[in-house]
Order: sequence, then structure tokens, then C-alpha cells
Amino acid sequence: MKTATLFRVIRFGFQNFFRNFWLSAATVSVLTLTVISINTLLVLNVLGKIAVSTVEAKVDISAHFRSDVDEGRIQTAKVTLLGMQEVRDVEYVSPEDNLLRFREINGQDSDLVASLDEVGENPFGATLIIKARNTADYPAVLQALSQPLFTNLIEEQNFEDHETMVARLNAITSRLEIGLLVVTGAFVLIALMIIINAIRVSIYTHREEIGIMRLVGASNWFIRGPFYVEALIWTVLSVILTLILLYPLLLLVQPFLQRFFGTNSIDLVAFYLVNAPQVIGLQLIGIALMTLVTSKMATARYLRI
Amino acid sequence: MIRFKNVSKTYQPNIVGVQNVNLHIRPGEFVSIVGQSGTGKTTLVKLLIAEERPTRGQIIVGGWDISGIKPSEVPLLRRQIGVVFQDFKLLPKKTVYENVAFALEVAGVNPRRIKAIVPQALKIVGLTDKTGRYPRQLSGGEQQRVVIARSLVHRPKIIVADEPTGNLDSLNTWEIIDLLKRINGFGTTVVLVTHNREVVNALNRRVITIDNGLIVSDQEEGKYML
Repeated sequence: MKTATLFRVIRFGFQNFFRNFWLSAATVSVLTLTVISINTLLVLNVLGKIAVSTVEAKVDISAHFRSDVDEGRIQTAKVTLLGMQEVRDVEYVSPEDNLLRFREINGQDSDLVASLDEVGENPFGATLIIKARNTADYPAVLQALSQPLFTNLIEEQNFEDHETMVARLNAITSRLEIGLLVVTGAFVLIALMIIINAIRVSIYTHREEIGIMRLVGASNWFIRGPFYVEALIWTVLSVILTLILLYPLLLLVQPFLQRFFGTNSIDLVAFYLVNAPQVIGLQLIGIALMTLVTSKMATARYLRI
Repeated sequence: MIRFKNVSKTYQPNIVGVQNVNLHIRPGEFVSIVGQSGTGKTTLVKLLIAEERPTRGQIIVGGWDISGIKPSEVPLLRRQIGVVFQDFKLLPKKTVYENVAFALEVAGVNPRRIKAIVPQALKIVGLTDKTGRYPRQLSGGEQQRVVIARSLVHRPKIIVADEPTGNLDSLNTWEIIDLLKRINGFGTTVVLVTHNREVVNALNRRVITIDNGLIVSDQEEGKYML
């Protein structure tokens, strides 16, 4: 296509946009709501994953060995456990470290520490803190620890069972995701109907001009082009508006996230900045495709070309 | 230049537009198509500019069979046929110059050529002093002259004027007819659809008479007979 024609199509597209300003504003508003709900879905997905991984990181098994078991046997047990496919990491905590932790937790002046001092010797054995690769792998680790090789050495084992919590978190996030998907779907549907109607009104407003265009030999592309340009303007504006609305919201939410997730927290603003080409680009492409396909349908139906 | 071979057009459910039309218009001719309202004159125009497709028969324009013309080819045909209507079809928010330039803009002509062509067309129709006016600031005759200027910018071989004087008073009518005769003098084929007896008789050119969708008379130097 010639450059002059392209510029004219773009100019007519902008004219269409401004001549039906309020209709354009309504269309952009609904598209913005659609893009916002898509972004909420994205943020929720990211936060859900962080929440689950935070809880999962806290799951472990502590195997407390008897104080009379020498370190060599415990190290053998550690190697055996590390050899398991399901085990990601095994941390060895010496009896001295256990004693130190006990004192720290209970405070130097407590009765428990005082009675410990009276005993005179360290009553704690060593501990192995075992982390599995997945929460689903813990039953296999517990099974291994119930083997005679370990039961004879282990005095006590604690399994901090966060499985229920992980499952509940997964259920909540997936339910929220489904809810948001439904809301997004509804917005997409409303947006489609509004776009079709906006183009219909636009065609009606320009019917005289379109008739003359046809009469004097304008190509079908030249007649359709401005409607596509208008749809692209709606798309770009809705994505820009979403970013403008989203930015202060993310800044507002960030301290709460920091407090809730602690070190595992994510900087959502940074996430958006780092992933801007993908996140914004994909949304632009997605919404542009949606508006362009709808415009094509609407122009085919109402322009009859 | 224009050839209709056994052309019929029937509208649903069973309304006859034109029936078995055979005619041949040679290059440079000035032909008047006359007939009463609803006899098929406008159907002939619509068939000629491919706004309608014939139910049967063949239409050839400049050696091009447009009977089954594709939608994408219609704009090319329209650029070869200048069309003038009774209701002007001017854009009210555009000036005289912009209305004429619009026909070139939509066809993708570059701005430099538009600047060269538009004044020439406006000179032919005698509107060089009114280029900045809007249609509402012009008389009916002047508006029709703008339409003629617009139809000339593609330098068409054929001008089809469907009742171009229907909305004009006597003085403006003759101005438009004189202009069409002048354009015909440049070698452009002019097809004038009218039911203005006075104009047809004064022209003393070929007259094709249509009645009930049928060509009932075709005279080289004809008169209005109905």
C-alpha cells in the first residue's frame, strides 16, 4: 500500500475516533476493565505461586537421634537419605547446636534451662532436618525413616505437616482464578458486543461518506481501514489506561505483600518492569487481535464489503 | 465502449428491473436514456457501475466483461466511470476543493498530483473562485458542477449522469447540460438518464427509450417520445 494511502486511512481512523468521542470512551472503558481483570488474574497467579512455595519451604522432617548415637552413624544416615530421589536436602544439626538453640528459645533465666544446668551434661543428640523435593514426597521419606535402620537410632521425629495448608491455598487460588476467569470472560463478551455496536454506530454516522467513497472508487480496504485503526486506538488506550491505574495500586499493595510473604515476597512493580515486553506486549497483541477480529466481523456485516 | 447483451435483471421475489436489453454505446457518444419513473433507467445505471449484477446476460465496458465482476475489482471500474446523481452526494463538512480531492484521496493518489488535478477539474466546471466554500454555500447548479468536477478527476472514459438536473431550475439545468456537452466534446462518452423532455429534444442526440424494463426505441437523433 502507498504511504499516502496509509496515512489517509490512519487520519480517517482518528477522525472516526474523535467524531464518536463518547462511544469511543465507553468502548475504551470496557476494554480497560477487561485488561484490568486479565492483569488481576496474572497478579493472583503470581501471588498464589509465591504463597504455595512459601508454605512449601517451611515443610520439613526433623529426625532427632538418641544422644548415644555417634556422629559417624548419623552421617551415614544422612548420606543414605540424600541418596533418595525424593530428598532435596538434609541438614545436620550437632548436639551442641541443639543445646544452643534450646537455650536461645527458652531464655537463659527459664526453669528449663536451670534444670538443664543442674544435669550438667548435654542431653540432646544430633538432628537431621530433611527437606523433600515436593510436599507429595514426604510420605516416602517418612516411610524410609520407619525402617529398622533408622528407628533404632531415632529418638523422636517431627513432621511439620503443612500439606493441608498447601492444599487449602491451592484450592483458594484455583477457585479465585476460576472466578476471575469468569469475570474476565464476561468483560470480554461485553467488550465484544460494545465494539460491534460502536462500529455499527460509526458506520451509520459515516454512511454518507462511505457511500461516496464507494461511488468514487475507494477500495474495500480503504473503507475498512479506518475502522481497524479506530479499533487499534481503543486497544492502545485501554492498555495505557490499565497501566496508569495499576501502577499506584501496585505501589499501595507492595508493603502488605512484603509483610505477608517476608523474604519470599515479590516486588510486583519490578515484576512488571522486568517483564514489560512480554506482559504489555502480549496484552496489546491479544486485545488488538480481539478488537480487529470483531471489527472485521462488524464491517463485513454492516458495510457489506 | 459499452455493450449490453441480452441483459435481464430480476429482483426478488419476481420484480423485473430490465428485460433482455441489447445495446451498444460507441466511444464519444452522447446518449440519453429516457423513460418514466420505475421503468428501469436507474437499474441500467446500477448495472453499468456494478452496483447490481445482471440476472442474465453480459455487460462489457471498455472490453471488460463486468457481468460477474469481483467485489475487489469494483473500485477499479468506478474509477473509469464518472457518476453524477440527482442528489449530488457531496460531503457537507468538506469544502468544494476537499470534496473533489476526496475522490483522488480514496484512490491513493499522491498529494502532489491531487494539487495538480483538482484545480484543472474545477476550472472545467467554472468553480475556481469557490474552492473554499462548503456545499451549503452553493446553489444547486454549483453543487452539481462540483459533483461533475469530482467525477472528472479520474479522467474517466464514460460519464453516467442519473437525473443530474432533477433538482435544478431551468437556468441551472442548461448550464449542466452545456457542461456535459463540453465534456463530451473532449471525447468522453456521456450517458444521460433523464425524463426531462425539453432537454432531450434540444440535445438532438441518440435517445434510448425504456418502458417496463424493455428498450422500446433507440434513435440516432431522437426525441422524447413518451
